[in-house]
Amino acid sequence: MPNVLFANLPFLLRGAIVTLELSAVCALLASAIGIVAALAQSYGNLVARGIALIYLYLMRGTPLLVMVFAAYYLLPYVGIDVDPTTGGALVVSLYFGAFMSEVFRAALASVPRGQWDAGRALGMHGRRLMGIVIVPQALRLAGPPFINTCIMLVKGTSLVSVIGLAELTLTGREVVERTLAPFQVFGGVALIYLVICYSLSLCGKALETRLPHA
Amino acid sequence: MMARAMPVLLDGLAVTLELSALAIVLSLIWGVVLVLGRLSHLRPLRLACAGYLQLVRNTPVLVQMYFFYFGFAMAGLRLSGFTAGLLAMVLQNGGYMSEIYRAGIETVGARQREAGLALGMRPFEAFQIVIFPQAVRLVLPPMTNQFVAIVKDTALVSTLSVADMMFRARLLIDRTAAAFEIFADLTLMYLVLTAAVALLMRAAEWRLGAVD
Repeated sequence: MPNVLFANLPFLLRGAIVTLELSAVCALLASAIGIVAALAQSYGNLVARGIALIYLYLMRGTPLLVMVFAAYYLLPYVGIDVDPTTGGALVVSLYFGAFMSEVFRAALASVPRGQWDAGRALGMHGRRLMGIVIVPQALRLAGPPFINTCIMLVKGTSLVSVIGLAELTLTGREVVERTLAPFQVFGGVALIYLVICYSLSLCGKALETRLPHA
Repeated sequence: MMARAMPVLLDGLAVTLELSALAIVLSLIWGVVLVLGRLSHLRPLRLACAGYLQLVRNTPVLVQMYFFYFGFAMAGLRLSGFTAGLLAMVLQNGGYMSEIYRAGIETVGARQREAGLALGMRPFEAFQIVIFPQAVRLVLPPMTNQFVAIVKDTALVSTLSVADMMFRARLLIDRTAAAFEIFADLTLMYLVLTAAVALLMRAAEWRLGAVD
């Protein structure tokens, strides 16, 4: 019986590569969005803070699937004609950007007050204070939750299969339609996700033990 | 249009609510079973529970739903989309719940109980006065996040043709082409729902004395 899985493994692996590429791009974009949102929320003026809060609340309170379909149905209306790949990548990045922002915000908040004071006492301000004292320490604290969010993101990319992006999950569905062996194929798909996400969590463990405490 | 879409979505709300409530209650129970296994003295049982946790935590719930829905149908034991979706959500979130319990149990720990007993409390008093308030304070906030995640995950059953809010919204869009209004309504309803869950849990924290 597992023959069905082995025979179709090349297809599934091709889907897995799309999932990996999509996840990498989205993780980068989501981190960038997350940093901007975290800074806006923590240090921005009233307008920036308001926009950041609305964005965070909207993304955290609605299902990713709703956002995926919203992009699929709404973008063409406003004249933005994007293919499923671009649309899917944008939505996943925006969605997990909100979770990334929480990771960075919490990390910034847990750098002790004394570190700011110490930096100022040494005559540092603004960009130098942030760049030399605060951000390096915050990044260490952000490591493990950052990896967790990346794992959520990899799993989240499975939802863009519903708008026709041929990543791992949609490839699995296509193979099932051809082979009529859902247990083996979806079992195999799940195993591939397991390998990707478990490797990520091992990276997280390594980060936790390697990085010196702030 | 906004007003016309609402009643149809409200019909779907019943399904979303039912699925959320069932998934939350069953995950809480399944989590207890898993954490008992995780903290058991039997090594094989401990390892099996740890392996299970890695399996459900590192695979997408959508793939698990497809696995149960299409898999059992092909094996001749057809599960409804609702059942398959519920099964996948409980299996996954039960795993997360067990981790939340474990963090609570390990942090509060046996010493706190011993300290209570040493002060002359009866075992139940020690639980009520010493253990429980500390555990609630640790466990409720992450549990709130998990409940919100469950409510949001229910939207996935729309891909198994379950007529929840998401499914009905798509039907409406196909029929009326008023996509903006329908998505505004849909988003609003999920926001209200998740905010309500968060508020209820916050109230529970107050009630259980977990907030200073």
